[in-house]
Amino acid sequence: MSAAFEPVRIEAPPPPWGRSLRRWLWLGPLLFTMLLPFAWMIALSLAPHAGNSFSKALRGPWDLSQYRALFAGTNVGRYLLNSAIVATLVVACNVATAAMAGWVLGRRRVPAERFWTLGVVATLMVPKQALMIPLYLVMARLHLIDTYASLVLPFAVDAFGIFLVRQFVTQLPIELEEAARVDGATDWGIFRKIILPLLQPVLAVVAIQSFLANWNSFLFPLVFVDSDRLRTLPVGLALLSQTEHSVDWGFLMAGSTLASLPVLAVFVVFQRRILSGLLAGADK
Amino acid sequence: MRAYSRATAWALLSPWVLAFAVFGLYPFAFSLGASLTDYSPIRAGATRFVGLANYAQACTSREFWNALANTGWFVLGSIPFTTLAALGLALAVQPSFRGRTPFRVGFFLPSVVSVVVLSLVFKGLYAPGGSLDALLGALHLPAPAWLQDPRTALPAIMAMDVWSASGYYMIIFLAGLESIPRDLYDAARLDGAGAWARLTTITLPLLRPTLAFVLVVNTIRSLQIFAEVFVMTRGGPLGRTTTVVYYLYEQAFSRFHLGYASAVAWLLFAISLLLAVVQMRAVNAREQAVR
Amino acid sequence: MKRVALAVLAALAFVAACTPAKKKPDEIVFWEFWPADVITPLVRQFEAENPGKHVRIEQLTWDNGRDKITAAVAAGQPPDLCELGSTYMPRFLASGALSDWSAGVADLRDSLRGWELCKVGDAIYGMPWVLGTRALFYNKTLFAKAHLDSTKPPETWDELYAACARIQQLGHGVHGYGVSLNDRQKLFKKFMPFAWGNGGEILSAGLDSSRFDSPQNVEALEFYLKLRKVGMLGLQDALDQEFKEGRLGLQISGAWLLKQIPKEAPGLRYGVALVPKPAMDRGEHASFAGGEVLVSFTGSKRKEDALRLARFLVRPANALALASSAQSVQPANVGADTAAFYRERPDQQVMIRQFATARFTPNHVEWDAIEQVIEEEVEQALYDRKSARRAVADASARIDELVGKK
Repeated sequence: MSAAFEPVRIEAPPPPWGRSLRRWLWLGPLLFTMLLPFAWMIALSLAPHAGNSFSKALRGPWDLSQYRALFAGTNVGRYLLNSAIVATLVVACNVATAAMAGWVLGRRRVPAERFWTLGVVATLMVPKQALMIPLYLVMARLHLIDTYASLVLPFAVDAFGIFLVRQFVTQLPIELEEAARVDGATDWGIFRKIILPLLQPVLAVVAIQSFLANWNSFLFPLVFVDSDRLRTLPVGLALLSQTEHSVDWGFLMAGSTLASLPVLAVFVVFQRRILSGLLAGADK
Repeated sequence: MRAYSRATAWALLSPWVLAFAVFGLYPFAFSLGASLTDYSPIRAGATRFVGLANYAQACTSREFWNALANTGWFVLGSIPFTTLAALGLALAVQPSFRGRTPFRVGFFLPSVVSVVVLSLVFKGLYAPGGSLDALLGALHLPAPAWLQDPRTALPAIMAMDVWSASGYYMIIFLAGLESIPRDLYDAARLDGAGAWARLTTITLPLLRPTLAFVLVVNTIRSLQIFAEVFVMTRGGPLGRTTTVVYYLYEQAFSRFHLGYASAVAWLLFAISLLLAVVQMRAVNAREQAVR
Repeated sequence: MKRVALAVLAALAFVAACTPAKKKPDEIVFWEFWPADVITPLVRQFEAENPGKHVRIEQLTWDNGRDKITAAVAAGQPPDLCELGSTYMPRFLASGALSDWSAGVADLRDSLRGWELCKVGDAIYGMPWVLGTRALFYNKTLFAKAHLDSTKPPETWDELYAACARIQQLGHGVHGYGVSLNDRQKLFKKFMPFAWGNGGEILSAGLDSSRFDSPQNVEALEFYLKLRKVGMLGLQDALDQEFKEGRLGLQISGAWLLKQIPKEAPGLRYGVALVPKPAMDRGEHASFAGGEVLVSFTGSKRKEDALRLARFLVRPANALALASSAQSVQPANVGADTAAFYRERPDQQVMIRQFATARFTPNHVEWDAIEQVIEEEVEQALYDRKSARRAVADASARIDELVGKK
């Protein structure tokens, strides 16, 4: 009986080539200009002799020496692992808590919901530079400095995700939930069996956004973590490529290109889930 | 009809409340409290209560108003473009067409790289004699020294922000678009509505919550712009790219006037809150009108 | 699928929770900015000489390291030994957070230079480790092309202007002098050598009022502005890049170029000279001097050991190990130029010679604000928003406000 309430994925027939090619015509150049700075980054990473000159880098010769240097005798592998562990934990917490709190707020399940939502959003409004020192004081008092927990716990619940889910939930038709309730389903059952599947597109966005923010996070990992063993990738890369007055361009670009790959992978995997929205027939 | 359980609702909200109580409340309270004192993080002596003196100092400070003006220009100048670009891109890559995924990935790519590295890349691109100037020169267009000219420095940073943020908000609009039931479009098509009519009568109204989200969040983030300025211009030239958070950071970590910096942060908070309320009201008011 | 995901998450959480990061209680915590491969051998040697003592090195980033130090001091958990840049020193000195080393370094007073960086009155709160200055870099190839004698770099302002004019005339993207725009905390170091060399001052001897409004400073600023006509404007890294690519004739820059040029522009023929003075019969070859200081905090747990480690690090051989690797700094030890490393490198020797007439900045608590005022007013003049006289006068008025404050 409950299967009738799950959204039905209707696979559309493959689109005609004509329409696709027309789209390529006007999206293609746009994409090209958007990707130019990347071309710059990758070119610099392949041509360490060129410093930060794009034209010199394009002329070549090209080599993978900077990519090899990333791993030879450095702890980049360790930094990658740390970033991966922390990001995965944070994303899991963010998705779960965003779904929970977002649904409650979107369905106005608590009194003065507008006030709560504003409160949630308001936590984003104080710049982190002003909060850094008191947050450090909290972490120091809890003896969490220089632990994985310091990189996960303060960021486990994220207002951005909650707000996004809340907005999404306000658009969801209430009939599915009401019908299930008439059938005698519990709140928790409704949440698990009906709401979560419906929230897949927005939770995919929350996952992507949360992973991205955490993967590239620099200030707090720098301040909360002292030991090299727990260091995350952005901080590690900065330390390896810095000198007092200049930047090792080839190395930094190679590291940054490498650092972009996991985020891209997460995006490619999750963005397909954005497609699984309400399709024809499911909400009647 | 009270068909749901309050207990479950509170239970579901509790993780946020707990996390806020531990990691949010103290920092917020501390920084609000610090804004009423002359607190310095490294000073060994006692901290004095100064009441609203920090706030008064900010309101009479030329540097603060300069930073606020720059930030205001930044927000006004970049939000419309980012929002329109993100919406446009989402509409463009939402329908099914071959190669859709590579386009989605490609447009999202600028958001993927850390903002510090991106700023370094753009610093090089914008440098006089850099690639952008070379390109403009080849097209016989004027090639200003983007980051050194007081008139073009802030627009240059804004352009970079629009470039990198469009793809990011595009996926949020995509999620919003996917949640619109298909049969609404089918019905409209049967009624003879053209593409533009379908856009304005179905898509945009139903995107309101998503639009509200993008506007509010983008505004909050833009009001707090910092890393790009830190890497590319350090607030110059002639103070034209000093934003409120950059100003606050200097006060907190160069001058160690964390009390004053906290006051500046809370002034920014007040502005963000006001803008968010205005934006949500504006978007929802039209929603009421539609109903 | 869901079960697998949950299992993975649980495993990650377990790993994360189990990884101990507890500091060993008897470790000396040392925060510094240099690469680990330079500092680690020194520290291991210290451990060998002091059995039972272990040192934990933690590397900071140049851009944000100060933020981390600030947070740690605020939380009452500072490192035992810390490296601080001379720019940060005035505020830390005024804060009372630094530990008093007057007794512990008394015997080193004559063997190190740069004590001005760590002194307040007669009390000493740190130890100078390495120092840095600015000097005149010139391109010998361009000199030859402009029919100038590349073995005789300009020594006076007139000679400098003349050389730049000749090189500027070469055209084809070549410029004479690299005039620095407002690069925070960098413009000051490139402009003030002219002012100091002309006899200009910033603060009075008692550090209680501004001496900036003086004909010498106005003259220096007018000269600096004049150099725009025979040069190009740019930020430090742009000017350095132009110099490395052989398109800039002369500029004031620092020793980091001595490390970068062999790597990035090995064919460049260049030389280093003292900063030119106003005229042969007056003024000095003045320059800026700063450096890195080793300090301990009043809240540090192992102050005795920190002092011992600091004394070890400032030994001539050890400071030299750092300086020879970084090349952007020179040891603070008196007589460092007699080391073989420097004897073989005449350009580095010029840097060390420049120290003799280089100025450390005053240890006023508002120093970084004063520096910013000077940079902002010079910038106004560079963008032709103010005349040199007006800029200097306004800067002086603002400095008076700053030092008049508490």
